Amino acid sequence: VGAEKQSGLVQGTLDMLILKTLALEPMHGYGIGVRIEQISNGVFQVNAGSLFPAFRRLERDGLIKGEWHDTENSRRAKYYALTAQGRARLRRDTREWETQTAAIARILHATTGEL
Amino acid sequence: MTFLRRAAGALRALVRRRRTESELDDEVRAYLAMAVDEKIRAGMSHDAAVRAARAEIGSLEAVKDHTRDVGWESVLDTFAHDVRHACRGLRVRLGVSTAAIAMLGLGIGITTAMFTVVDALILRPVPFHEPEQLASMYMGNERGGQTTVSPAVFRAWRESRAFAAVESAEPDTALLEAGDTVVSRRIARVSPGLFGLLQNVRPVHGRLFDPQDGRSGLDDRVLLSEDVWRGLFGADPGIVGRRVTVDGESLMVVGILPADFRFPSWNTVLWRPINFDAPPRATDRARVYVRFRADVPRPDAIRLAEGAARAADATTAKLFPRVTPVAGLVLDSYYQGAVPLLAGGVVLVFIVLCANVCSLLLASVTARRREFSMRATLGARRIRLFRHALVESSVIGACGMALGIGFAWVLVLASRVFLPEAFLLRTLNPLNIDLRALAVTSVSGVLATFSAGLLPAWIATQARAGDSLRVLDRGTIGTHGTRRITRGLLVVEIGLACTLLAGATVLVRSFVNLAGAPRGIDTHGVLHVTLTMPPETMPDATARVLAARTIEEQVRELPGIERVAWSYGLPPSGSFSWGDWISDLPGGRTVDMEVDRYSVGPEFLALYGIPVLRGRTFVQSDRYGTVIVGERFAAALWPELDPVGRSFTFGRERFHVVGVAREIHHPSMVAARDRPEFWEPFEGVGRFTMMSIRCSAGCPDPAVVHHRIAASQTGARVFDVREMDEVYFEQLARPRAAAALGFAFAGIATLAAAGGLFSVLSYAVARRRREFGIRTALGASPVEIRRVVVRDGARVAAVGAGVGLFGALALTRTLASLQYGVETTDLSTWVIVFGILGLTAFASVWRPSREAMRVDPALLLREE
Repeated sequence: VGAEKQSGLVQGTLDMLILKTLALEPMHGYGIGVRIEQISNGVFQVNAGSLFPAFRRLERDGLIKGEWHDTENSRRAKYYALTAQGRARLRRDTREWETQTAAIARILHATTGEL
Repeated sequence: MTFLRRAAGALRALVRRRRTESELDDEVRAYLAMAVDEKIRAGMSHDAAVRAARAEIGSLEAVKDHTRDVGWESVLDTFAHDVRHACRGLRVRLGVSTAAIAMLGLGIGITTAMFTVVDALILRPVPFHEPEQLASMYMGNERGGQTTVSPAVFRAWRESRAFAAVESAEPDTALLEAGDTVVSRRIARVSPGLFGLLQNVRPVHGRLFDPQDGRSGLDDRVLLSEDVWRGLFGADPGIVGRRVTVDGESLMVVGILPADFRFPSWNTVLWRPINFDAPPRATDRARVYVRFRADVPRPDAIRLAEGAARAADATTAKLFPRVTPVAGLVLDSYYQGAVPLLAGGVVLVFIVLCANVCSLLLASVTARRREFSMRATLGARRIRLFRHALVESSVIGACGMALGIGFAWVLVLASRVFLPEAFLLRTLNPLNIDLRALAVTSVSGVLATFSAGLLPAWIATQARAGDSLRVLDRGTIGTHGTRRITRGLLVVEIGLACTLLAGATVLVRSFVNLAGAPRGIDTHGVLHVTLTMPPETMPDATARVLAARTIEEQVRELPGIERVAWSYGLPPSGSFSWGDWISDLPGGRTVDMEVDRYSVGPEFLALYGIPVLRGRTFVQSDRYGTVIVGERFAAALWPELDPVGRSFTFGRERFHVVGVAREIHHPSMVAARDRPEFWEPFEGVGRFTMMSIRCSAGCPDPAVVHHRIAASQTGARVFDVREMDEVYFEQLARPRAAAALGFAFAGIATLAAAGGLFSVLSYAVARRRREFGIRTALGASPVEIRRVVVRDGARVAAVGAGVGLFGALALTRTLASLQYGVETTDLSTWVIVFGILGLTAFASVWRPSREAMRVDPALLLREE
């Protein structure tokens, strides 16, 4: 079950994507899921079964903070926003991710001549 | 920092669980609502949108469940949740859970109680400081004869470097008076330093003995056991400093020792000081206890002790110091055989009960497969289901453990009251459920829980999502494995029950044989008195004879006394002589054997109902050298001849035979104890004598006799007054206790196995009702249907019995030391074992097979 199986999204990565989404603006759970799907052009379809545990985890670690607000459709929803620690974590994770992906890309594109 | 924050978050979550829970619910619902809104906006109808959104999200409960699993506190949380759920489930299935808890409680209870006994008897060292350095000392020769340590040697040892301490304790019996009550109790005369030698002895009130206690003027001091203080003196807080009457003497209580302090015997309840600086009394039979020095090697210490003993006392110069470790004092060969065996029996019972609980839970979870697969369908993961099933059996295990502790407590209490003292209490350790026993309880509880719970949990959670939608109850999908396991467990149960039955049968038959073995002596209604005549008050034989006459007159005045006879030596053991016995036959037939000799008064043989078969009995004028021989002695020295009028030589002495008495026997597991005997006339009165009293109706209370003799003021000291039956009874006490325990274990195991067989067959019949209905409809007769079930049960029972046969063969071989008159491969033992097993199996098969027979196909069709 869950989106991570369908798209091979690893757990830590989902956390990073949520943080990034929230860095743009505070958002409720459904909105975060939709936003990730939109930005990734439908590559990542994140299921509620993965999102909610991730919210719980991030909130527990003090990286995001939830508050209840009315939505534009006048429903009540829990809006999550980044905390200062969340912001710092996102910066660190992004840096690490970029270093790693760059390295992995170099390895994957390596030719015999380069070794 | 992150760690602290997480911990804080977890704590917050735990505290605000309910709010978090409702918030999560709101959040997930909002999510669903928004998804639906979105789909409606995209042009779907409301119903279609709801359906699509639900399909996308899946089970809301599963989402919440996954979310709840985040964070370590969720483990606690779900555990509490699981426990609540399990308790609810157990309440619903009250019958199964009660049976399981009761069986586990029984298993854990008897295991704990048995451990407590084994621990006190065997495992735990005596409760004194460095017990391995403590020993009791005797002087002995190579042939096993031994004598007590003389006061001179005692003093020499105190001065030698061999021991860290040398003290003495002399067991005795005394009359205790408290108000109008007079009771006879075991006491000990101890040197004041004895408590220092043992160490770790603290009085409950008052003090221990001072070094001066026991010296003249200070010898009227006494220490009481807490038991006596509570039982006889009503736990009087002011007793220290008060005077109590012991053997007619007024003694001052200086302290109260804890009830758990047992020394030198398990039943010593009063201690008086003896003074070894005073001139010794010749009757003192003080046992010497020593503490070895840690810094002197044991062989050196013994060599030093031997040298010191030779130099100090010429009379024992040919003897060697013999060391008996205090730690090993209580462990004779019977204990060494019986106690581990009984402990092993308990382990087998424990396994049977666990197997039974396991098959019970197995049946219960198979019946609940629907529930499990339903939950799997609703999104519960297997690990979750497994954990749940395990929590359920842990709750059963925890209840069983609680019940087990209570049960063990009751058992230990009951065993202290009902089991013969000779079996349980002959240990210097108190018999209590302590921390060690509780540790065993928990270990056995955990073992039981896992051994009984893991397998059912594993099998139950094999349920796949969707199984519940298929018709499971009808077929046998996935139950073949379960069936095999249940049958396997049953085979184990029946096998072990069979093993235990065989063991119990051997023990019970041994006891019956032992109790029923002809002893050739009528002990019913006979009291015996053991007396010492101290030389301080009775310097010569004349004085002793005079005293004996007075005592005899006093005793004869008691109501209901028929006969009185003096003796030295009392059945079952006289004074013991070994060596070459030479008959007067031509060529001097010589027999080397061990013989019991009894010096008896004229009425003795008649008193004990021992008939003189040939020749005559003793008369007053018979002197030393005249003997009446037993049949075995006669047959050994004069095979097939009449020994009357003949004579034999032993050492340098010659004995003339005037009669042949019927042989008396001493039935015992140790055959060597039953020795041939002969009787000699009782002449003069020694310093140590016995008196036998036959009473016509009921015998007077031993304490009354004791008091009467003490009141005769002859200066004789009564060592003991006992019923003769009791002496023989005590010989039987341990075989009887072993047989009773073995029987109880086998009974529990057999009942458990029978219950298991019954429930498994009932369950199988319930499952196969359709099959039986169809068979009946197709023309099978009820008898044939019944035969199917009976054959099923019989097969399991037969395989179990086969397994049990091997176990029983192995067991009975180790039982050899506890057997009497029973052969290991005795046919009747096997007849009894298989008879009981067959009957039990038949009884458990009866009802299920009748149920099967009564399946009505028409009714079955209507049910469908």
